[in-house]
Amino acid sequence: MPTIQRSALQPIAVPQTRNTLSARKRFSQENLMKILFVVPAGLYIALFFGYPVVKNITMSLQEYTTRTFFTGEAPWVGFENYVTVFSSNLFSPALLNTALFTIGSIAGQFAIGLALASFFKRRFPLSNFLRSMLLLPWLLPLIVGSATWRSILDQDSGILNRFLEAIGVIQDPVPWLTSPAVALTAVVLVNIWVGIPFNVTILYGGLQDIPDELYEAAALDGATGWKAFRHITWPNLQPVVSVVLVLGVVYTIKVLDIILGLTNGGPANATQTLAVRSYQESFIDFEFGVGAAYSNVLILISLLFAIIYLRANRRAVDE
Amino acid sequence: MTTAAAIKLRPESHKKATGSRQPVHPGLFTALGVVFLAIMLFPIYWMVNASLQPSGNTLTAGLFPTNPHFGGYETAISQQGRNLVTSLIVSVGTVLFSLAIAAPAAYALAQFRFRWINVALLVILVSQMIPGIVIANALYAAYNDLGLLNSIPGLILADATHAIPFAILILRAFMIGIPPSIVEAARVDGAGLVRAFFSIVVPISRNSLITAGLFSFLFSWSDFLFALTLTTTQDVRPVTLGIYQYLGSEVSNWSAVMATAVLSSLPAIVLLLIAQKYIAAGATGGAVK
Amino acid sequence: MNTRKKITAVLAMAAVVPLTFTACGSGGGGGATSGEDVKTLTVLDSYNNEPDKSILQAAIDKCAAQVGVTIERTTVPGKDRMQTVLQRSSSRTLPDVLMLDNPEVKDVAATGALAPLGGYGVDTAPFAGNSLDAVTHEGEIYGLPLPADTLGLFYNADLLAAAGVEPPKTWDELKAAAAKLTVGDQYGLAFSAAATYEGAWQFLPFMWTNGGDETKLDTPEVKEALQLYVDLVNSGSASRSVVNWTQADVKDQFLAGKAAMMINGPWQIPALAQAPQVKWDTVQIPVNKPGQTPTAPLGGMVWTVPMTGDEAKQKKAAEFVECTGSEDSQMALGKARHTVPVRADLHEAYVKELPTMEAFTEQVENAKARTGKLGAEWPKAGTTIYTAVQLALTGQASVEDAFSRASAG
Repeated sequence: MPTIQRSALQPIAVPQTRNTLSARKRFSQENLMKILFVVPAGLYIALFFGYPVVKNITMSLQEYTTRTFFTGEAPWVGFENYVTVFSSNLFSPALLNTALFTIGSIAGQFAIGLALASFFKRRFPLSNFLRSMLLLPWLLPLIVGSATWRSILDQDSGILNRFLEAIGVIQDPVPWLTSPAVALTAVVLVNIWVGIPFNVTILYGGLQDIPDELYEAAALDGATGWKAFRHITWPNLQPVVSVVLVLGVVYTIKVLDIILGLTNGGPANATQTLAVRSYQESFIDFEFGVGAAYSNVLILISLLFAIIYLRANRRAVDE
Repeated sequence: MTTAAAIKLRPESHKKATGSRQPVHPGLFTALGVVFLAIMLFPIYWMVNASLQPSGNTLTAGLFPTNPHFGGYETAISQQGRNLVTSLIVSVGTVLFSLAIAAPAAYALAQFRFRWINVALLVILVSQMIPGIVIANALYAAYNDLGLLNSIPGLILADATHAIPFAILILRAFMIGIPPSIVEAARVDGAGLVRAFFSIVVPISRNSLITAGLFSFLFSWSDFLFALTLTTTQDVRPVTLGIYQYLGSEVSNWSAVMATAVLSSLPAIVLLLIAQKYIAAGATGGAVK
Repeated sequence: MNTRKKITAVLAMAAVVPLTFTACGSGGGGGATSGEDVKTLTVLDSYNNEPDKSILQAAIDKCAAQVGVTIERTTVPGKDRMQTVLQRSSSRTLPDVLMLDNPEVKDVAATGALAPLGGYGVDTAPFAGNSLDAVTHEGEIYGLPLPADTLGLFYNADLLAAAGVEPPKTWDELKAAAAKLTVGDQYGLAFSAAATYEGAWQFLPFMWTNGGDETKLDTPEVKEALQLYVDLVNSGSASRSVVNWTQADVKDQFLAGKAAMMINGPWQIPALAQAPQVKWDTVQIPVNKPGQTPTAPLGGMVWTVPMTGDEAKQKKAAEFVECTGSEDSQMALGKARHTVPVRADLHEAYVKELPTMEAFTEQVENAKARTGKLGAEWPKAGTTIYTAVQLALTGQASVEDAFSRASAG
């Protein structure tokens, strides 16, 4: 009976990685078995991502246009595409928008997601049902979701402005998607809406894996409420929190469909992000080399976050 | 934002670790939960409302579809049934395939002390950043030569590009918490590494496997790009692509689009609810055992 | 350092594996069957939604029977068409007959992917000259246009009558009429100024009618047209939301009674017909000064014959394409889709059968191709146009500066 449970009593974020293997040397058959655990995943990733990565890098160093697709000719141009990217007047606004969009979205999704996950962790009638229904927005294709949001956010006849006017919060309709000053905020709000179910579900899973016994033990020491959250929930949730955040950054930074669906980067370039630039260079202007350069800049940025994540990760492991 | 902060604190302050005596009636929480859900799902309600308007939009609509128009639903039911089945098969297939590949890898990356773990994690993270279209272009050429276009396995393999890196990272985050001692205990009893994995690791990771599976399902369910790129005929056609049948470049039938979206989410909701039941059962099951 | 070496190794391995397996099969495509009888042709088009899909199917079937082939047809959504074409180009799996949007033809022809139709003796003489501008590259004709569309001014006849307003013929009349028709939550005019080519396409009729030129945007003629937009929006006669409206949104506004007039094209007519409570009619785009000719962009798809390497199939495909240009085919498709046959010899009979298309038919006769002057440079000009329009309408730039600001981006 009790193996699983007893073990669960040990705190999690400070895992027992003073591990099995560190000292003793096992025979090589064992090591081979261990390798076999990762071989299928390694093969899959090599097959399905290897070529595209290399392609994306080489493409960004070539003059790659519609012609290339038919003739296969793509003259090497060195870093010219990157020069085009960095010297574009839209680069710095797009970079700033990407940062604002990502920070705003992640902050909102994570805060609301954690709040809702904690809320649903209490067991009350229908709690599981209600929590599952939160995932509903993810079942709808984004094109439908963004079309609906466009009509909700419409300045003249959108339901949001009608509602806000009815309850007296605003006097004049808010130009959600039509004013360059507001559009980015509106797009962030919609993206927060899209991201909440993801954050709730994963964080809820993390909360569930924290054994109740830890809280019981803490309660005996008088740690409840905020203290329990700080000393038990938060440290034990650490691995899940960091993966949610790093995945959040990686996914948010490349968000495209939502922005294209809501504003197409407008009005007056107010919602241009690096991902939108990459798409437009490639598929509107057919400058595939420049488009690839933009997406490599994005990859570099998320590489930065990935390294921060791994650093934090290693610190947790080494502690 | 302020409400969010407030909620974050409140449930914790009545932490149920203090016992089952709660000062607040549980029905109140249900009511609060319903309110949160209602806010979150309002856009979906609005979409349903639009789908019931004769015009397919809500420009002149009231809060309720007082004069519902079911034309969109008739169109969707008559045309999208088969696509729905395709979507379900592909999505479930993606879940099974992705978990089969990702779970052992995640366990290995969480528990074995390989020296190159960080490199592997970096590669996995970066793989998520590659624009889908670049992958799709590469796959189109390869599938064309391998005869995988217009095939369900082809779509499953492609959709797993969303799911596998994600599942590895998520499962690893959960599996870091598995105390090696329990696996060691089984090993002492003579179980091999593989048997220990299936008899110990998989059962206690049930929650996280379901969470990862859930999102693998959702990624695959909402995929449009691979469906568009890797199918060239009507034979294998997921419902996301079916929706495009109503979205022309010039004229669109929004009531059919919305109706298809609503209808096609129904079977998926049922699957979600079943999966969530499992999570709940897993949680309580663990506590009882 | 060690790790870096390993990354390189992983990447290198990853790169090699798929390359080898794509290489194995690449000889397989396009086995030339010349000499044999061609029994089937593959067709790729972007009439992916109903009713257009079925209407086009009927036209395809007719010509397939006439040429004696069966057709394997694939449809892709319009916005993904070019992406599909490029994929198929690079893997040498282009269809035998390919539908392109007319501004795309020159660009694709320049890659060498299309066969010039002259080589197969396709007779292009009956086609109106302006309709061939977009499909002619370096003196060769690379496609036959389907019946064409363009832009005009739709008005709600009841609303105009009630306000005692005549359909406007000049910009001044347009501004006055729009102002007068703006009451309550009803705007006088709706148009699309979205941050897409749709926005650029809608601006062209005003710009061209006033003598503006897409090769030189920083001119008074172009700025006057932009000033018209700005006046309409700033006076409140058109909604500020125009910067976010597609042409379909514009149609919805018009049908919902929230706009008394709109700039739109004949492809909306079937949707308008489904709302019989709205009585509408059309006139040509208003002109700035009397004596100007309303000049709108020519829209519409084109059938082309890609270079598939199979000479016999290409020949058959050209025959099929020629059939789609026949009087019958153009007339039937034009009537079913409210698009104007591009053969001038058919216009009189066409207007007789579809009187609602009178204004549009004349508008098509005077229309210009977007890529007529610029060819592959058109996308850049188009982007500059819609960006300038957005900058001016949102007050981010003055009309004077909008185009120079937009072209710098």
